[in-house]
Amino acid sequence: MDAITSHPRPLPEQTPTESLIEARALSFSVASSGGVVNILRGVDLKVQPGEALGLVGPSGSGKTSLLMLLAGLERPSGGTLRVAGADLAAMDEDALARFRREKVGIVFQAFHLIPSMTALENVAMPLEFAGRRDAFDRAEASLRAVGLGHRLGHYPGQLSGGEQQRVALARATVAEPALLLADEPTGNLDRATGGLVMDLLFGLRERLGTTLVLVTHDEALAARCGRVVRMEDGLLSGGVA
Amino acid sequence: MSARAGAGFGGWPLAFRLARRELRGGVRSLRIVLVCLALGVAAIAAVGTLRTAIDAGLRADGARLLGGDVELRAGSQPVPDAVRGFINARAARTSDITILRSLLVAPSGERLLVEVKAVDAAYPLLGAVVLDPAVPLRDGEVAVEPLIAERLGLKLGDELRLGEAHPRLVALLRAEPDKAATPAFFGPRVLATRATLDATGLIQPGSLLQHSLRVQLPPGGDAAAFVAALRQAFPDEGLRLRTASTAEPGFSRFMDSTASFLVLAGLTALLVGGIGVATGVRAWLEARARTIATMRCLGAPSGLVLAMYLVQLLALSAVGIIAGLVAGYGLTWLAAQFLAGSLPVPPRLAPYPGPLALAALYGLLTALAFALWPLGRAARIPGAALFRDAIAPEGARPGWGVLAAQLAAAAALIGLVVATAGDPRFAAGFCAAALATLGLFRLGAAGLMLVAGRVSHRLRGAWRLGLANLHRPGAPTALVMVSLGIGLTTLTAIAQIEGNLRRQVEADLPKRAPNFFFVDIQQDQLARFDALVATLPGVEEVRRVPNLRARITALKGVPVAQVRAAPGSEWALAGDRGLTYSATPPEGARIVTGAWWAPDYRGAPLVSLDASLAEGWNVGIGDVVTLNILGRDLEFRIANTRAVNWRGMGMNFALVASPGVLEAAPHSNIATVRGDPAQDATVLRSVTDAFPNVTGVRVRDALETVAALLSRVATALTATASLTLASGVLVLGGAVAAGQRRRVRDAVVLKVLGATRGQISAAWAVEFGLVGATSGLLAAVAGCAASWAVMRFMLGSAWVPLWGVMAATLLGCLALALGFGRIGTALALRARPAGELRGE
Ligand SMILES: Nc1ncnc2c1ncn2[C@@H]1O[C@H](COP(=O)(O)OP(=O)(O)O)[C@@H](O)[C@H]1O
Ligand SMILES: [Mg+2]
Repeated sequence: MDAITSHPRPLPEQTPTESLIEARALSFSVASSGGVVNILRGVDLKVQPGEALGLVGPSGSGKTSLLMLLAGLERPSGGTLRVAGADLAAMDEDALARFRREKVGIVFQAFHLIPSMTALENVAMPLEFAGRRDAFDRAEASLRAVGLGHRLGHYPGQLSGGEQQRVALARATVAEPALLLADEPTGNLDRATGGLVMDLLFGLRERLGTTLVLVTHDEALAARCGRVVRMEDGLLSGGVA
Repeated sequence: MSARAGAGFGGWPLAFRLARRELRGGVRSLRIVLVCLALGVAAIAAVGTLRTAIDAGLRADGARLLGGDVELRAGSQPVPDAVRGFINARAARTSDITILRSLLVAPSGERLLVEVKAVDAAYPLLGAVVLDPAVPLRDGEVAVEPLIAERLGLKLGDELRLGEAHPRLVALLRAEPDKAATPAFFGPRVLATRATLDATGLIQPGSLLQHSLRVQLPPGGDAAAFVAALRQAFPDEGLRLRTASTAEPGFSRFMDSTASFLVLAGLTALLVGGIGVATGVRAWLEARARTIATMRCLGAPSGLVLAMYLVQLLALSAVGIIAGLVAGYGLTWLAAQFLAGSLPVPPRLAPYPGPLALAALYGLLTALAFALWPLGRAARIPGAALFRDAIAPEGARPGWGVLAAQLAAAAALIGLVVATAGDPRFAAGFCAAALATLGLFRLGAAGLMLVAGRVSHRLRGAWRLGLANLHRPGAPTALVMVSLGIGLTTLTAIAQIEGNLRRQVEADLPKRAPNFFFVDIQQDQLARFDALVATLPGVEEVRRVPNLRARITALKGVPVAQVRAAPGSEWALAGDRGLTYSATPPEGARIVTGAWWAPDYRGAPLVSLDASLAEGWNVGIGDVVTLNILGRDLEFRIANTRAVNWRGMGMNFALVASPGVLEAAPHSNIATVRGDPAQDATVLRSVTDAFPNVTGVRVRDALETVAALLSRVATALTATASLTLASGVLVLGGAVAAGQRRRVRDAVVLKVLGATRGQISAAWAVEFGLVGATSGLLAAVAGCAASWAVMRFMLGSAWVPLWGVMAATLLGCLALALGFGRIGTALALRARPAGELRGE
């Protein structure tokens, strides 16, 4: 057996000078019934390991699209993109899936827990995909870290929105990914609950040394990141590294 | 586990674990898949099991059914003395049986065509005859089947007339152990001693009778070895021998073809079930799309997603298949009760692994062939879908591996159908027809949607709304049409085939068909016979020909045992054939090759042969046919071949000899009498009273016997095909239910816009009515085409469209579609606008 069982540490052989994310002239367009839509039109972005980046901008400007490219869920139409030492444009579907479960954690606005699985099973899933034997032990530890050690066997339908998002947070961080992507993670939560989730998110990030890209409407939230960039009509402006 | 598999897939154990978790959430949406599979598997399992059970019954009871270890069928000639001597030297016991057809006349003068079985004191060698009351049957006495007593109003002690004899009825024949070996096909049974039969005067040269000799071997005797020794000792006798392990050939041929029809009807149910599987699985996976996308985001490879859902599907299919096997076994039991009277042996019901495994394999292959496509599509749902509103993978195509697997499953399914069929060519034709029918309904749906799209904007009101519903993207028009249509196509085809056959045997009787055949008229009775019928009322035409019995012993000097005849012509080489002679060609005969002999021809014996038999035997003009007539071999040279119209209901002989050879041989005559059917009773009574040895067979009665058999087969087929319709109705119900959410939303919006319930209902009536009418029309057309093909190519006979059947198909389809639409509409209209709008 091979890479599946050996536990890949995040950021294995990166020198501090090498960026965790390096995008050059990155473009992304999709063909739709109304013709080709150019969503990203030449994005340049560098993010250093351990950095926290806030991504703001009006709705429809392309923030989510950029996040998907970073996660290897979509393929760039042009330009180059390296994430955690991998050239995403050159990888096939299954290599991208492996890349995701080893290097990337994602938190969604709508939580996206699997309704037929318990909190523990949801969190263990990425480790199970990676063939890890200690998947459930680590998932339990991860759920304790977000304060849900007492809700392990509950199904998403039995949890409040805030609790669901905390489960999602535990799931995104359980494999100790090099990169954490969050797309408006508090968008579906009230202010107080959202605040709690964000405290957890930043706490985990600091403890694990994870790089964070956080998409948000909330300027105050963005300000908690070390650096903020603004997306406007498929282009980044302001604070570009 | 290899590194590659591990990387691309994650391994089966993980897939199993995930599948189990998913299944915890319940399988409500897959219930239709389960039931569809179960119905199809049940149909096939039932047919296969019944078939095997009947075979097992025949085998287990073989010796008793045959009435001995070995049976020698001698035909119209007694068993030659040399053969009898050989057998007597080796057998433990033997028994002689003679069977012939005759009229049994009641004291009232009523008469009935019966089959007389004359037996000796050794009968039965195995088993027991049950007489009621249990009296010994002496000479001058008969026992009759209860049916005869009922029809003729007989009571015990009555003096009956059989030929020239007047036996007394002493008992009812309740059970006959060897009935399967000698089924009383043309009439119910009369049991008598040989002496009683001799007294009737019915045994004359040329009489249509069947002598057979049953043999019981000494303990430990080997029937096969006995048969082989007998054949070796008498190679030229053309002995027809059967052992207990060889089933009744005629019956098994009949069973084979009935069973293969039934299997195909079951397969049709499975085909519709497959469509239900495909749609059910698609709906199920659409509901799982979010889960699948989430897993893909978390790093699950598409192979793992595929494996996980494949495991679930297979688990459910297994449940459906097992349910189907159990239900199928139950159906077998029901069918056995239903058929009890018409089977020669009680079927030995047991869960035979062979047919059950075959049915399960059919079910599994169907599930794979129909579910792999939606599974493959679902596995390709990208993780990115989670970030978008619309998750459905529009136009996604499964991976090549999945496509290949699906094609392999479909090919295996077709291969299995063809390989296990009694008639592979017919099975292949069936598969082609099934695919063509599917294509027809898809095309029809596409056409309907196209037309609806073109004309809807030119219409107003309900018509406009209804038509718009038909061609809206994602409309289940095609699904509804296919699911309804296939079942009705099958039923229509069966009804058309049965109707056409029935017409042929009943309504379509040729105008000039005779009312009666009179057989066994002796040479010295001819003049009196002609004089009598000339005076009878209503008689319009009488024809008469000499009738001899002949056995073909050699073709071109080669003994028939060594002749390799084409299938479909070998039957005529075995046993007795009718033979006549004539100076002129039979009326209506068409000479195919050669020429008829001169009317005054008196040269070396010539023969005219049926053209299709000549082809099957590979003989032609100038070749020599050796015929054994009354124990003597005679050589005939083929002068010509004739096309014989066997359906003309006239007197047809495969062999017609030239005059001058056979006149001197003792023989009888057959006459046909045509006339006013109202006088039938008088004619029959007058002729058979004047000539007690003559048997009259009413053509219409004989045809009704055939028709009755036909209708039993048709009932079995219709019952099996009904399962197809049941599957179709399930799929239809599923399609309507799937569209229900949209229907509710539409209803609410329309209500908000001010539409009345009546207007909304009318729009949906238009939608469902058009779908029903179109698929009904297509089903009628496809059913006609299928029945035409079966009649034309399998049965080689004419076909006429039966408009009543077509109209019933159309109306049935319309009623089903409107019925389901009506239920859906009623439920949708109940939704309250306020609640639905708030929930949005
Ligand atoms: N598959 C698609 N087809 C057509 N347009 C799309 C597709 N995906 C995204 N878009 C469009 O691209 C733009 C950017 O979308 P998105 O990345 O979701 O923006 P944001 O997250 O900033 O709101 C939007 O205008 C959206 O409508
Ligand atoms: Mg967005």
